[in-house]
Amino acid sequence: MAHQAHAYHMVDPSPWPLTGAISALLMTSGLATWWHYKTTTLLFLGTTLLLLTMFQWWRDIIRESTFQGHHSTPVQKGLRYGMVLFITSEVFFFIGFFWAFYHSSLAPAIELGGLWPPTGITPLDPFEVPLLNTAVLLASGVTVTWAHHTIMEGARKPALQSLTLTVLLGLYFTALQAMEYYEAPFTLADGVYGCTFFVATGFHGLHVIIGTTFLMVCLLRHTHYHFTSNHHFGFEAGAWYWHFVDVVWLFLYISIYWWGS
Amino acid sequence: MYRHIHALQQVARRTISSSVRRQLDNKVQNKQKLFQEDNGIPVHLKGGVSDALLYRTTMMLTVVGAGYVVYELVKAAFPRNKT
Repeated sequence: MAHQAHAYHMVDPSPWPLTGAISALLMTSGLATWWHYKTTTLLFLGTTLLLLTMFQWWRDIIRESTFQGHHSTPVQKGLRYGMVLFITSEVFFFIGFFWAFYHSSLAPAIELGGLWPPTGITPLDPFEVPLLNTAVLLASGVTVTWAHHTIMEGARKPALQSLTLTVLLGLYFTALQAMEYYEAPFTLADGVYGCTFFVATGFHGLHVIIGTTFLMVCLLRHTHYHFTSNHHFGFEAGAWYWHFVDVVWLFLYISIYWWGS
Repeated sequence: MYRHIHALQQVARRTISSSVRRQLDNKVQNKQKLFQEDNGIPVHLKGGVSDALLYRTTMMLTVVGAGYVVYELVKAAFPRNKT
């Protein structure tokens, strides 16, 4: 019984854009009340609302696609464009932080000692944990590609194994980076070096956590038979995001960790 | 005695593996039937009672939160400090 004469998806009315917008309002004003009045209620409320919104909105998208079949080929094409544009916007977000780093490090101010790293800063050895982190992320790029091929081939067990391995590598990176942050001989407050280092690597770390979560959801969905061998865009979007995170790290490693030391 | 232990092992193994198999069965078709039912319910409530509970909780937090933000902003804009 057909209800529409076109292949596009006319979505049901949904409350999640509103709850998401309110959560953004609560989080931003929550930051203000936290910094000015030391109360975290609004921030906590906003974050809870954000998590609830994300869970229900994405749950609904899974229902609309896997269970209701609304993701026809033109719809999927639109989603592909959307993910590409989103990742492009994130690339520009990181370009800003790399701009800041190069602005300060290519012509170091006299107040820094006229050199980079600035006087008094002991940079991390790029051939210790940062090199391990590079290997971990590169390996995870291989495992996620392996996972894609096994999904396309319909090989269930290897797909679950390779996807699990990718997630584990992502978690390992986060744990190693957290330890590095704790042990670092400099802090965010250590001038422009500390600022550019922790803001750039910090936002990257946040994106690793987001990417790992995305892949964990893909793993969960694959165990529940949501993906077929020729329709698994949710996984592809996650894999694209993961490769983007990997590439950003490579730029961070070369620029900040290696050249910047 | 060892025969008992062996039998217990076999029962345990069979129970564990069969319950695991039950958990990982392909339930997509059941979900498809549930979510394609022509009952006019929007997708965010179509899963059942737990959907409605979660929705109500989220909406309550939204309304309370929005109200609380307005209160805090008014408080911040008109400080009641007596010096």
